[in-house]
Amino acid sequence: MDLKTTRQGLPWRRTVTTRAAAFACALSLAGCSGVQSALDPAGGDALRIYWLTLIMTLGGTLIFLLVTGVLLYAIFAPPERRAWLGGRRTIVVGGLAFPIVVLSGLLPYGLIVMRDTDVPMPGALQVEVIGEQYWWRVKYPEEGGKSEFSTANELIVPVGSPVTVTVTSADVIHSFWIPNLGGKIDMIPGRINRLSFTAERPGIYRGVCAEFCGDQHARMAFDVVALERTAFEAWRAAQEKPAREPDLPFLSRGRALFRAAGCGSCHVVRGTEADGAFGPDLTHVGSRRTIGAGQFPNNIGTLAGWIANTQHIKPGVRMPSYGSFTGEELRSLAAYLESLK
Amino acid sequence: MSGRRTGQVLLMLAGLIAWAVQFTVIYGVTSTLCGREWADVTLLGVGIVHAVVALATLAALIVAALSFLGSWRIHGGLGETAAAPDRFISQAGILISGLSLVVILWQGIPAFILPACA
Repeated sequence: MDLKTTRQGLPWRRTVTTRAAAFACALSLAGCSGVQSALDPAGGDALRIYWLTLIMTLGGTLIFLLVTGVLLYAIFAPPERRAWLGGRRTIVVGGLAFPIVVLSGLLPYGLIVMRDTDVPMPGALQVEVIGEQYWWRVKYPEEGGKSEFSTANELIVPVGSPVTVTVTSADVIHSFWIPNLGGKIDMIPGRINRLSFTAERPGIYRGVCAEFCGDQHARMAFDVVALERTAFEAWRAAQEKPAREPDLPFLSRGRALFRAAGCGSCHVVRGTEADGAFGPDLTHVGSRRTIGAGQFPNNIGTLAGWIANTQHIKPGVRMPSYGSFTGEELRSLAAYLESLK
Repeated sequence: MSGRRTGQVLLMLAGLIAWAVQFTVIYGVTSTLCGREWADVTLLGVGIVHAVVALATLAALIVAALSFLGSWRIHGGLGETAAAPDRFISQAGILISGLSLVVILWQGIPAFILPACA
């Protein structure tokens, strides 16, 4: 091993370090966009929070670097050159005036962001969300002649229109957060909180539980879909309708299994005898993007897997695994659920 | 401690005491009024929460300002032969009351930007 190699470090070590740094950078940048990123705002509230975050982070970093630089200078500079650091003027300017000026600017700015964020708007779409271990019950109340209906693990909103979400919890404390659209709001049993926001950009976003609520907290997400007004009204009209009756024998078999297995004692399927209120409303489960509170894409395969292995996929949820179905039964039951568009 | 020294120390701490009282009044009164849904009550056309915060802030600012001016005058009047504790107390009084003026203002600002019971 020659001197040059020793000074520059071992080649493999440099490669590993470079790759680790590149991976860390890529990982950081990956959080800057996407369906669940506060750094990719899709609404006015999220934009205000984004700028506040940016200013605080960059400002804090600059001040940290400045203080660290001065500290290193105080330690390593020759005594005659660093003497000015101990002077009264330095202490008054750096220790008093600078923090007072910076904080006097940040305080009103932060307060103005608070004032302008989460403002209830007249005529806002009202939605009720109840957090439950580990899923989201979503209710669209009756409004202007339109019927009330429930769905689960999805929030569909019209683009450009204000939305007020009324939240509470059925068991433990959860927290409702859609990073692309606004701030967080706690969901507390016995208490009703409200959060208002407007989606300014059509798209699919992801909401999450932001308060540890149990073993499956990390698997408690929901889809947020911002649709143009006409598409939203069409979706709402479709959701208000009862479930469609199966039109194929295979699906009818699934419907019969759904009834025989007692699924209806926990789940509602409007228009059928299934009227359980314990679990998610399945009237239009087939129209949802995901199942298991945002865990898997919604299709016959994942639905069948979920029914047979619930406790394996998401241990601790209230629904037991129904592992006694045969393959054919499972396929027909999942196909029936998938047909509930 | 002599009566003169007690007065000096009280003057030095007056800004901090004013801040503490303002803090207690603002938090206590705001919580009570908002909890009892009295936020809409007005006093001379101003919401009662804002009025209480403004009055408490003004009173605290006056006390802190008097403490600042008093400490400043005492410090200016000290001769070359003044005792070290006198010099220290008057200097600390200027600093403490000056900082108290700033934090009392910071404490009062939210009432003029945010809704009363936000």
